[in-house]
Amino acid sequence: MIKSRIGRRVAAAVVAFSFLVGVSDLTAQFQPPGALGALAPENLAKPRPKPPFDLTGTWLHGGGPDNGFRFTPPPGLKLTPEAQVHYDAARKAQSEGKVYRDDIGQCWPAGLPVIMTRVWPIAMIQLPTAIYMISEFMNSLRVVYLDGRPHTDPDIAVPSFNGESIGRWEGDTLVIDSKYFVPDHHWIDSGIPGSDALHIVERIKLIDQGKTLSIEYAFTDPKSWEGTWNITKRWRRVDERDIAEVSCLPDLNDHMPTTHSDANVR
Amino acid sequence: MRNLLAGSSLLIALFIAGTAYAHHSGAGVDRTKTVTVEGIVKQFKWANPHSWLEIEVPNSKGSTDIWNLEMTSPAFLVRAGWKSTSIKAGDKVKAVARPFRNGDPGGIFVSVTLPDGKVLGEQATQPAY
Repeated sequence: MIKSRIGRRVAAAVVAFSFLVGVSDLTAQFQPPGALGALAPENLAKPRPKPPFDLTGTWLHGGGPDNGFRFTPPPGLKLTPEAQVHYDAARKAQSEGKVYRDDIGQCWPAGLPVIMTRVWPIAMIQLPTAIYMISEFMNSLRVVYLDGRPHTDPDIAVPSFNGESIGRWEGDTLVIDSKYFVPDHHWIDSGIPGSDALHIVERIKLIDQGKTLSIEYAFTDPKSWEGTWNITKRWRRVDERDIAEVSCLPDLNDHMPTTHSDANVR
Repeated sequence: MRNLLAGSSLLIALFIAGTAYAHHSGAGVDRTKTVTVEGIVKQFKWANPHSWLEIEVPNSKGSTDIWNLEMTSPAFLVRAGWKSTSIKAGDKVKAVARPFRNGDPGGIFVSVTLPDGKVLGEQATQPAY
């Protein structure tokens, strides 16, 4: 028990310092003791500006012109020599009626950005501190943190297929910065690998009276291509849909001959 | 019995491209042809992300081949009139599929004629999502 006035002040300063250190150490993947997770009531209750929109709902990609589900590279995109090898192999396989490294068909996660347009709907739950996105396809989870935490230190970040996403509001736009992706079995499009240097910036808006979600993507990956690859996709709100449990189980591919036919080029 | 039928349907191809291949590529399947087989249902799996239908089909050697027909997800099948009980093991059915180019038994499911003569496909009878 601290009895003196000076002693109580020193103790209070230590507590305040510890709290500040704890907050500043909060990162997307590792929360130090005392830091608040995105679902902590105290974190959720912190005063914050009202966001310009709420993504909570079920969204399905598609509709309208120039909105295919594939992330086809723009004309003139210059691939690195390492990526060009994969791209050429994919084109050769395609010309032979085959598919090159269809890792999703082998139950590898689609990963960002492909998971966002993979035909199946995405449930989004927006909280003041984070947005939880769950694709019905393999129930792939994305968490976009909005509580001001920075990206995890690269020395301890664990790479993943959907990467680590930090969001911030800019006027009427939600800007999401994602990095720390796995370098293997992760493709942007057939024959275009996403490496551990992949960096994705998404600028999200709600348009059409909130019925359409628009994402302007900016991809950079100096290990796979030069410069910035820009592309825009749109989703429509499907209020009549819920998502279900969807898993890629061992017996699934046993009964999907296309996943192990000789048309698959490894 | 194997009865190859030439034909194509852009609508079906587009539908399949947008649904059945969500999990994997359909490379290796000849989308310009259909094949019709008759046999006894070995298994009908009602599951996500894909359902499947296995049929024991008599071959020219006096034995049977297992035809594995890949289907889309129940979310789409329900809108095409399916139930999990639409087919059961032991049913005698006639099925239409888009076959593998290499001649392996099986392919992408197109439709099936049930023992009572009812035909079920994968195209939605209600507007699809």
